[in-house]
Amino acid sequence: MNYIIEGLINGILMGSIYGLTALGLTIIFGVLKVINFAHGSLLMVGMYVAYWAVSLSGLHPYLTLVVVVPVMYLFGYYLQDIVIKPIFKAEREVREPITVIIVTTGVWYILDNLTLLVFGPQYRSIQDNPLRGKMLEFGEMLISVPKLWGFFAAIITAGSVYWFLQKTRTGRAIRATSLDRDAASLMGIKQYRVYNIAFGIGTATAGIAGVTLVPFYNVFPTVGVLFDIKGFIIVVLGGLGSIGGAILGGIIIGLIESVGPQFMAATWTEAIVYGLFLLVLFVKPSGLFGVRYDW
Amino acid sequence: MKGTKISQHVFRGILATICVCSLIFFTGTPSLAGPEVVKIGNIIPLSGPSASVGQQGKQAREMAVEEINAAGGIKSLGGAKLEMLYADSESKPEKGVAEAERFINTEGVHVLTGCWNSAVTYPTTAVAERYGIPFVVPVSVADKITEQGFKTVFRIAAKDSWWTRDQFAFLADMEKEFNTKVKKLAFVYENGDWGKGFAGQWKELAKKGGYEVVLDEPYPSTATDLSPVVQKIRRAKPDVLMLVSNAADAILLTNTLAEYKVKLKAIIASGGGHADPSFLKAAGKNARYIFDIVEWETDVNKPGAKEANAKYKAKYGENLTGEAVDAYLATYVLKDALERAGSLDPAKIREALATTNLRSGPGMIVGYSAVEFDKTGQNEHAALVIVQINDIGSGMERITVWPKEARRAGYTPVFPMP
Amino acid sequence: MGEQMTRQNLQISSLLLVGIITFGLPLVLRSPTYLHILILLYLYAYLTSSWNLVGGFAGVLPLGHAAFVGIGAYSSTILYLQYGISPWLGMIVGGILAAIVGIIIGLPTFKMRGAYFALATIAFGEGIRVMVENIDYLGPFNLNGPRGLQIPPRNVGLTNLMFTTKEPYYYIILIMLVAVLALTYFISRSKLGYYLNAGGEEPEAAMSLGVNVARCKLIAMAMSSFLTALAGTFYAQFTLFIHPKSIISLDLSFEIAFIALIGGRGSIAGPVLGALLLRPVSDFSRIYFGATLPGLHLIIFGTVLVLVMIYQPRGLQEPLTRVYHKLLYRLIPEPAGTE
Repeated sequence: MNYIIEGLINGILMGSIYGLTALGLTIIFGVLKVINFAHGSLLMVGMYVAYWAVSLSGLHPYLTLVVVVPVMYLFGYYLQDIVIKPIFKAEREVREPITVIIVTTGVWYILDNLTLLVFGPQYRSIQDNPLRGKMLEFGEMLISVPKLWGFFAAIITAGSVYWFLQKTRTGRAIRATSLDRDAASLMGIKQYRVYNIAFGIGTATAGIAGVTLVPFYNVFPTVGVLFDIKGFIIVVLGGLGSIGGAILGGIIIGLIESVGPQFMAATWTEAIVYGLFLLVLFVKPSGLFGVRYDW
Repeated sequence: MKGTKISQHVFRGILATICVCSLIFFTGTPSLAGPEVVKIGNIIPLSGPSASVGQQGKQAREMAVEEINAAGGIKSLGGAKLEMLYADSESKPEKGVAEAERFINTEGVHVLTGCWNSAVTYPTTAVAERYGIPFVVPVSVADKITEQGFKTVFRIAAKDSWWTRDQFAFLADMEKEFNTKVKKLAFVYENGDWGKGFAGQWKELAKKGGYEVVLDEPYPSTATDLSPVVQKIRRAKPDVLMLVSNAADAILLTNTLAEYKVKLKAIIASGGGHADPSFLKAAGKNARYIFDIVEWETDVNKPGAKEANAKYKAKYGENLTGEAVDAYLATYVLKDALERAGSLDPAKIREALATTNLRSGPGMIVGYSAVEFDKTGQNEHAALVIVQINDIGSGMERITVWPKEARRAGYTPVFPMP
Repeated sequence: MGEQMTRQNLQISSLLLVGIITFGLPLVLRSPTYLHILILLYLYAYLTSSWNLVGGFAGVLPLGHAAFVGIGAYSSTILYLQYGISPWLGMIVGGILAAIVGIIIGLPTFKMRGAYFALATIAFGEGIRVMVENIDYLGPFNLNGPRGLQIPPRNVGLTNLMFTTKEPYYYIILIMLVAVLALTYFISRSKLGYYLNAGGEEPEAAMSLGVNVARCKLIAMAMSSFLTALAGTFYAQFTLFIHPKSIISLDLSFEIAFIALIGGRGSIAGPVLGALLLRPVSDFSRIYFGATLPGLHLIIFGTVLVLVMIYQPRGLQEPLTRVYHKLLYRLIPEPAGTE
């Protein structure tokens, strides 16, 4: 029985981290209506930035957030501005520019392989960080400390972004644009600036997710690919544009991955996750918490 | 569509580049006239998930070629130098096949080597067989590779059935030496070609050895979290855990096992990911006491081994690994065969390879005594060593422990794990 | 009027010229490597053209077509290895199976909007791959999981779709390609094509006019999956080795879709053009840079993708068609008074 509880807890913790990685995706998807295939790569960039920040400064990983968040925000902001905005401008009349998907895939290939070229294929991890390998013991159960930190980071980040979107002017502008971009621009909201900001925020959350992962995961050029598809599944599960949905969707996936293997071989949990994904798509495509946007 | 100036220029630029590229590509690269050169085509994974191993293979080959060329090349061919051509297989079979075709037909290579990933090696050796070009496989353990009835395939490393056989032999020896009984085994392996192949054989060997298999767990190599697998291991309470992992999951698994304080008598890994240089660096202390089976280790008691390793380390910053040593040896085996063949004719090179009996020379830094290929092209003498990862004063290192003759002097393996 | 006929004649004769060149190429180009490259090029052009039926004409973005390649390849291979059935028959079986699967996939997914549809197809593609990787035996059929299936190069000949030289493969895939292009041409001029087009742009309007958009899309999907599966069999017989990661891979699905998109989906020439331009870029950069600067070829590929999408989102066929027409009109100047 203990194992199941342990599995449940691990699933929730790991799941919240998955949710955090998917948070940026849901924001970008919700506002810009594009699937950002480069999201995994952005996560990877965030991990590398965090890795170098910790290695060079010797700081506690979470302190590097001071560096990681602004760097990633700006990276995302300008990525959107320079690479993706031109396509939006060209495809004004199309509701969901499919070509953007291709561009983000191109960005994905470029980022991953540029990193391979520059940093090499080695697997890196931070050796002497204070979080590594620490576990909390509750009787026979062990809970991973870095994952616990990740859980809190996820909740806090999600909460902050939610608050930002609800309470601040910029946040409201973003929400308005996501609901109806033409109406929003008629109201004086600069559409493209909103996109840039949204992309920046999405990328910044990917950076935070990177910081969360770095204490216990390896850093290598193609690490983003693993989280990419998972991110899409989570986003659809939770509902596009729904922040809470992303976290909860992540937790669901985390639970399946953690508790599932107790009853079957680990390789089948992959199939279950895909199966669940398809089920949600067919039965309730707007996701568990999604709102039916008219687009 | 408004044709803006930029878009027109960009478009023309792309078109022009593609045209130029296609032209150069189809007219081929001009061949240099000059002294005879032996062209060797090497198809290895230089990008993608096995990039790290591919790089090691490339570096080892380059070092061997430099030495051979500096020493005068192939004397029986008038001092012909070896020229290595590399192609990235991206770990994809169709790329391997395409590159093999290209090497043979456009570049006119005389020999091929490769491909590390067994899935790439199968069809690529078939291509070589069709054209009669000898193919030397340094490392690609799947048994099937030398069992296809091909005449042109020669494999240096041991087949995977030998690997698993040795792992069990080692276990039995350890039990005897340390008077510890082992009853329960757990198999945890990556669910690819390699892992599943090993697992199948382990199950057979376990039955023969009278062991009880308490866990048989394939896992996806790309998993982002292996705690559920570790929990299953904990739950099953095995005596010995046997692993087949690639680099990323090996690191993750080792760290997670340490986090969950899983108590076992021993962990036996199967090379691959565990032998990757990044593994030791990334897993650090958590890797202590793990046993691993490899073709070679830096402390092998063979002349020239230490020097070769020091040279490699100085050049490339890391120790030689099993894969690298096999690639290094493969290059010397080729040199030896070329010397005896005295010709660039593939059939003669093939003959020479088939009659190889290499027992000395810079390449023979492996743990075994000779390279001789049997009728199926398998190196009969290929043997493996088991190492234990431990820190005996100068940091985490890999120490050869088995077979007993190969054991590093003064070291007693730690079994069971404290 | 006479002038117009000549322009049409010029188009037809230039098409014939291309046909003669491509069919005659193996007689001139002897090197197996180049033939191999061309065969792969035609294969991709075939795959993208088949994809075009759904991705171009039906206006959706399927990103899981590699699954159909896999179904075709595995069907014919298993039937051949275990029952000795000729791959030609196996091809048809695979195609039908793929069409059925395609319809099953299409039924629920076509109701979804663009991005969702794309994600659903990805999930299907990956789901099928995971299943094949984990299953060794499906009833009496040996799938062999991740170890893949290998076809021993014995009994070569036309009945077994196995040859020792490249030429036969070249002609087979070329004929297949021409067939698909012809099919695409006829569909585009038929009622089905018209309906698909309407359904893709403005489904509500089309439906209000009585067009059964859903059924048209399903028909297109069935055709597309059938044809794609045929290519799977061809590939299996060409490389004689299949395994899930290479045949049912996300990379392949993406590559097919992107080549079609860059070439220009929805047009007939687009996918072929895309294959013609992009495959050499991908192969070339891998050959010349793959060994020295690993991953550079993918950077180049990614950059081309980005650039083309920014500057020519309708695909490269658009400016190329303009150039083609300009050339045509320049050769045969407009007759006074008409058009």
